Amino acid sequence: MTMIKKLKENLFLTVVAVMYIAVFAINPSMGSASVKNSGYYIKEMLMIMPVIFILTALLDLWVPKEKIMQFLGRDAGAKGIFLSFVVGSISAGPIYAAFPMCVMLHKKGASIRNIVIILSSWAVIKVPMLLNEAKFLGPKFMAIRWVLTVAAILVFSWISDKVIKDEDLPGEVLTKPGLHVNRDACMGCSICANSAPALFEMQDKKAIVKNAHPEENDMALLQTIIQECPVHAIEYSEE
Amino acid sequence: MDIFTLAIWIGTLIFLALSFAKDKVKTKQALKMGLGMGKGMAGSVFTIIFAIGLILTLLPPAEIAGYVGKQSVLLATVVAALFGTITLVPAFIAFPLVGTLVDAGVSIVPSVAFLTTLTMVGVVTFPLEKKEFGIKFTAIRNGLSFLFAIVIALVMGVIM
Repeated sequence: MTMIKKLKENLFLTVVAVMYIAVFAINPSMGSASVKNSGYYIKEMLMIMPVIFILTALLDLWVPKEKIMQFLGRDAGAKGIFLSFVVGSISAGPIYAAFPMCVMLHKKGASIRNIVIILSSWAVIKVPMLLNEAKFLGPKFMAIRWVLTVAAILVFSWISDKVIKDEDLPGEVLTKPGLHVNRDACMGCSICANSAPALFEMQDKKAIVKNAHPEENDMALLQTIIQECPVHAIEYSEE
Repeated sequence: MDIFTLAIWIGTLIFLALSFAKDKVKTKQALKMGLGMGKGMAGSVFTIIFAIGLILTLLPPAEIAGYVGKQSVLLATVVAALFGTITLVPAFIAFPLVGTLVDAGVSIVPSVAFLTTLTMVGVVTFPLEKKEFGIKFTAIRNGLSFLFAIVIALVMGVIM
């Protein structure tokens, strides 16, 4: 892989790195202030992200698809909406901590509407923050903003559900017979390529299928890998 | 660590212990999966955090607020909402900040718009969200959140 191609693939990282170099060159004290600011957020992130990852994996393991569909799916109705608000509101951490959990819930049958509700309430209506808000902006402010925000989320999650189809999210492709990796969903964790080098390899930081029609005695291993894939990007269908 | 984060940790650890008691092999698989998720997101998350650190230094929220306070309410609202989309501030810093704004005489509408987009809409998190949910979902969710942030702010201005 050429250097330029690598830089292009990590465009965002490249831009941030170049900006840091520029800021340090022009004004070193501003540069170190930026690093100090970032350190604070890294601490905040490390307090919550690892536990969310573990919780997501455990829920994925023990809660069957039917249950998720029943409670958060398209037909869950008001119960599903309420539950989504609860999940989002009692959470902690920044909005991106919610991404892996919402991806997992959607793959297991949660509706787009409920995913949008979880993400939005995760961002703005945190129960732990309500007291803080009342303290700094007054209880009346807090109460009115809370009611309006919940109402707004109800409306725009409904709109999102009308506009966005399940197929618009990565990981909903129809598979041809054989082994298949959804490259949009793959995060490049390389678990599959390490466990079964005969079937998968890494290319441009994503897994690709080496052999789409595995041997009979590879099947048990393949089933394990399909389950282990953090984003369920691996699919296998016989015919 | 606030009490809710602590509760999530304790709950998850109990869940993990129960899971381990019930099925060792599957639990190990789940942990491996969690680790894989972490590895997959780590690069993007660190980039986002360093970008936020830089933006907060170059565009300190307090200065943005001072600038916004001098404009007409409608312009101030849109500008405040726009600034809110770039930066991402944790809620427990955002509330005292918006509190000082309101105390200093900035009207309530731009302050609320700023508060909502600050936490809900993210330009810096856009690449990560796109990777996880696809472009259409990300564009629509962020777009609608931005519009409704302004609606919430305007309605609050009328009520309060």
